Amino acid sequence: MSAITAEPKETRHYRRESKSGGWGSPIVYFVALCMIAITIAPVLYIILGGFRSNSQITTDPAAFPNPWMVENYATVLKMPLFWRMMWNSTYIALITALAVVVLGVMASFVLARYKFKGRNAMYMLFASGMMFPLAVAITPLYIMITKSPLAGTSWGVILPQIAFSLPQTIIILVPFLAAIPMEIEEAATVDGCSRLGFFGRMVIPLSMPGVITVGILSFVGSWNSYMLPLYMFASEEQYTLPRGVAMFSSNHSQDTAQVLAFTTLSMIPALIFFSIFERRIVGGLTGAVKG
Amino acid sequence: MGLEIGLLAGPAIIVFVLFVIVPVFVALYYGFFSWKGYGPATDFVGLANYKWTLTNKDFWDSVLHTGLIAVLSLLFQGPLAILLALLLNQKMRGRSLIRVLIFVPYVISEAIVGIGFSLMLQDAGAVNGLLHKLGVDQTISWISSPKVAIWTLMFIITWKYIGFAVILMLAGLQGIPEELSEAAAIDGASYWQIQRHIMLPLLTPTIKIWAFLSLIGSMQLFDLVYIIWGQYIAATAGTSTMAYFMAQNGRLSGQLGRGSAIAIIVFIISLIVSLGYQRFVLNRDTEGALTDKK
Amino acid sequence: MRSSLKTVAVSAVIAMAMSGLAACSTPTGTESSNAPGTDAQSTAAPAAVTMTFWHNGTGDKSLAYWDQVIKDFTAKYPNVTITPQAVQNEDFDGKLQAAMQANTTPDIFLQRGGGKMADMVKGGQVMDITDVVSAATKTAYGEGVFAAYTTGGKIYGMPAALTPEGIFYSKDLFDQAGITATPTDIASLNAAVDKLKAAGIAPISLGAKDAWPAAHWYYQFSLRECSQAVVDAFIAGSTDLSDPCWKKAVQDVADLNATNPWNQGFLTTSAQTGAGSSAGLLANHQASMELMGAWEPGVLGGLTEDQEIPADLQLFPFPAVAGGQGDPSAMMAGLDGYSCKKDAPQACVDFLNFLAEKPQQEGYATAYGSLPASKDATGAVTEPSLKSLLTGFQNAKYVVLWFDTSLGQDAGNGLNQAIVNLLAGQMTVDQTMAAIQSAVKSV
Repeated sequence: MSAITAEPKETRHYRRESKSGGWGSPIVYFVALCMIAITIAPVLYIILGGFRSNSQITTDPAAFPNPWMVENYATVLKMPLFWRMMWNSTYIALITALAVVVLGVMASFVLARYKFKGRNAMYMLFASGMMFPLAVAITPLYIMITKSPLAGTSWGVILPQIAFSLPQTIIILVPFLAAIPMEIEEAATVDGCSRLGFFGRMVIPLSMPGVITVGILSFVGSWNSYMLPLYMFASEEQYTLPRGVAMFSSNHSQDTAQVLAFTTLSMIPALIFFSIFERRIVGGLTGAVKG
Repeated sequence: MGLEIGLLAGPAIIVFVLFVIVPVFVALYYGFFSWKGYGPATDFVGLANYKWTLTNKDFWDSVLHTGLIAVLSLLFQGPLAILLALLLNQKMRGRSLIRVLIFVPYVISEAIVGIGFSLMLQDAGAVNGLLHKLGVDQTISWISSPKVAIWTLMFIITWKYIGFAVILMLAGLQGIPEELSEAAAIDGASYWQIQRHIMLPLLTPTIKIWAFLSLIGSMQLFDLVYIIWGQYIAATAGTSTMAYFMAQNGRLSGQLGRGSAIAIIVFIISLIVSLGYQRFVLNRDTEGALTDKK
Repeated sequence: MRSSLKTVAVSAVIAMAMSGLAACSTPTGTESSNAPGTDAQSTAAPAAVTMTFWHNGTGDKSLAYWDQVIKDFTAKYPNVTITPQAVQNEDFDGKLQAAMQANTTPDIFLQRGGGKMADMVKGGQVMDITDVVSAATKTAYGEGVFAAYTTGGKIYGMPAALTPEGIFYSKDLFDQAGITATPTDIASLNAAVDKLKAAGIAPISLGAKDAWPAAHWYYQFSLRECSQAVVDAFIAGSTDLSDPCWKKAVQDVADLNATNPWNQGFLTTSAQTGAGSSAGLLANHQASMELMGAWEPGVLGGLTEDQEIPADLQLFPFPAVAGGQGDPSAMMAGLDGYSCKKDAPQACVDFLNFLAEKPQQEGYATAYGSLPASKDATGAVTEPSLKSLLTGFQNAKYVVLWFDTSLGQDAGNGLNQAIVNLLAGQMTVDQTMAAIQSAVKSV
C-alpha cells in the first residue's frame, strides 16, 4: 500500500495521519456530518445567543442573530469579576495539573520500575481511589477542610483535586513507564547513572505523551470542576468559572443573551487548550489502553 | 532503595491518603451523629442516620435512577462510540477537525452544559421553537415533565460524554498494529469483515476500560442534575442520583451527620459495583499493566 | 432531638398581632439626639474595631443602601470599620455554616430566626442580645416582633423587616379578563382562574423549582383550615397532625391543582431568578397572580425591562376557605433580621441598634421593598400592594411564621417537597399527608 514500510514503530500513527489525503465513502461523511451537527448545535446556540438581544431570543428562540450584537460580549469582557474568575480557574487548574503530573510520574515510576514488597498493595491503594469518587467523599472532605487551616483558601480545592486525579494518572502512566525497555535502564546504569538519574534523563522524556495526556485531563477536569468549589468556596472573589457561570446565570437570568455571552467566554480557554493538544491525548491514551 | 521509594512515592501517597482515604473514616465517624455543623458533634444517634436513609423511598429512587443511567449510558454510548471510532479511524479528509469537534462537549463544563440545555429546553425555549417551525404543534416539557425528564437527561449525558468514549476507542484502535488489517485486506477480507473480526476483538480491552470509567462516572453524576433541576425537585422529576440525594439531604439540608452516613452507603454501593466489575470483567486488564513486564 | 424542637418552635410565633403595628404613633428621638446602646462617643479615643458583615442584598439598591448605612454609622463611631460582603441569597446558609465551622463567622450576619437560629444558638455561635437591645428600639418595635428571634427566653437577633404574605396580581390582566372584584373565597378564586384562562392568560405563576413557593399554598390553606389553637400547637412543637384540618388543607391544594391554574412548566420554574421565573412572569404580564411575601414588589422591579415595579401591581389577602376554622384575617409572615456572632465587639450591638432607628428602617424598607420592623418607619411604605399588605398585617388577628422556618431547614424541606410531589401528580393526598407527617416527626 505504501512505499514506506520500514518506519520505526514510534511514529506509526503519525504516518497514518499523513496518509489521510484520500476521500472516504459518502456514507461516512454523511454520518460524520450528522454527528457533528448534533454535537455542535447546542454549542452554537450558546455562542450565537450571545450575539442576539433578549427580545430577539424571546420572540424567536430558534433563529440566527439579526442584527448581530457585540454588546453582550463587550459587557462581559469589561467585568472585573469575569477576569477574576478566569484567573482563579487558570491558576487553580495549572497548579493542579502540574502537581498531578509531578506526583503522578514519581509514584508511577516507583510502581513501574522498582520491585519491592507491597508494590501490588500500593497499586491497589491508588486504584481503589477510582471506586471512591469525589462526589461521594465531598461531605467528609467539606467537614475536614472547613475545620482545617485550608478553609477558605484555594488549597481547599486544589489538594483534593490532586488527590482525586492521582488514580487515573497512575493507571495511565504506569504502563508507559513499564514499557521502557529494561535495556535502556541497564545501559544507563552502565553509563554511571543511578536509578534516579535514569529517572530524570530517560524516563521523563520517554513518557512525555502520557504525561501530556494526564496533564491535560487534570487541567480540563479542574477547569470544569463544579462540586468542589461549590462546597469549598464561599466568596465570589474565589469562584472559578463554572461556579461563576452558575451564579451569573441566576443573578442575570432576565438577561439571557448576556448569560450566553458569559458562558461562551468561559468555555473558550479550555476549548483552545484542548484543540491544540487533542492529537497528543489520543497518542497518550493509546499507550495506556494497550495494557 | 527504600529511601528512593519513599521520596518518589511518598508525596503522592500522603496527598492521596489524606484527601481520599481519610474522608472515608471521617464520614464513618460523623455518620453516627445528628450534627448540623454549627458546633461540635455531640448528639450521638447510633445507626439512626443509616436507618433514615435506607428506609427513605427517595433514596432508593435515586439508586434506581443512578442504576438506570449507568446501564443506559453503556447501552447508548458504547455501540455509538465504537461505530464512530471505526469511522474516524479511516482515512478521510477533515478527520482531525471532526475529531476535535466531537470532543468539544466533553471539554465544556457540566455547569455550562446544564445552563445551556436548561435554556434551550424550556417550554418557550429554542428546541420547542424549532419544533414549532417544523410544524410540530405540541409544546413538550422536556425538563419538567416527570415522564420525559430522565430521557432528556440521558440525551444530555450521551451528548456530553460520547466524545470521551470515542477518543478512548480511537486510542485503542491506533494501538492495533496496522499490519493485521493490511494482511487481512490482502487476503480478500471486506472492510466490515476486518472491523468485525479483527478490530473489534482487539478493541475489547479498551471497551472494558471505557465501560468501567463510564460506570464510575454514572455513580458520581451530580453537576448536571443539580444545575438543571436545582436543589429540590430532581426527585419529583425522576432524575435524582445518589450523589444528588446525598447533597440534598446532607449539606443542603444542614444535616452533615446524615450526609456522612449517606456517603458511606453510597461508597459501599460504588465499591460493590466496581469490585464486581473488576472481578468479573476487568480482571486481567488492570493487572496486565503490572504483570506483563517483569 | 425532640426536646430541641420545643425551644425552637415556641420562639417562632409572631405574637405581635393586634396590638403590634396598630399603634404607630409612638414618638421617638432622631438618630443624632438619641444614640442607642452605650455612649461610645463620650469616652475619649476608643480602640479601633474592625467588623465583618454579611448580608444578602446583592441588588444595586440594597448595595447602595448598605454603603450609606455603613458610612453613616462609622461617621458616628469613627473608631469602627465595617467590611460588608453581599452574599447571594441561595448561597448564604451554606457559606455561613462553613464559616461557623472554620471559626471565621462574620461579626454581623443576616438572620431569619426560627429553627435554624436555634441550631446556631445551640452550637454557641450567636450573641445573646436580650439586655443590650436599646430601650428606644424596644419601644419602636414592640415586644412581639422579637418573638421569632427568641429562643430559651433570650433574644438573638434584631429584626429589620417583616414579610407578610398575600396574593399579588396584575390589575391590567384582571381587567382584561373581566374580573371586577378580587377573590375573597376559593369559589371566587376558581372563577377568576377560569376567566383568566378563557382570556388566554396564565392565571397563577408558581416557582415550584424552589419548592417553598409551592408549599406556601399549603401553609396558607392550613392557616385557613386549622383553628388558631391547632396552628399555635404546631408552631409550639406539636408533631401531631391528626386534626383533620391538616389533611383538608392538602385536599384544598390538590383541588386547586386539579384546575391547573399554574403557568406551564411550573415544576422547573424558579421563583425569583430571571424573566422566566414565576416572579418574572408576573412582572412581565405573562401570568396574573402569585402568592408571595412582601419582598415581591422589589423582586418584580428587578425583573422588568425598565427596572420599575409594574404600575398595576396590587394585592389581595389569601382567600377564605368554606368551613375553615382559622380566622380569615390571619396572616403568615417571615422576618429579615441580623445577629452578632457570639464574641463580637460591642460595636456590633451598636450597629444593630443603629439599624433599628427610623432613618435606617425607612431606608431598608425602600431598598428591599419590604415592610419595616419598626412601627415608626411605616411611612416609608408607599407602593400600593405593600400598603394593602401593611393594612392587612395591622388588622390581622394573629400572625404565624413560615412553617419551614419554624420547623428548621431539614423538616421544612421535607414538608415542602411533599407538596411539590402532590402538585406534580407524583403523590396522592393520602401519601402527601403521610410524607408531611413523617417530615414533621423527623425533627
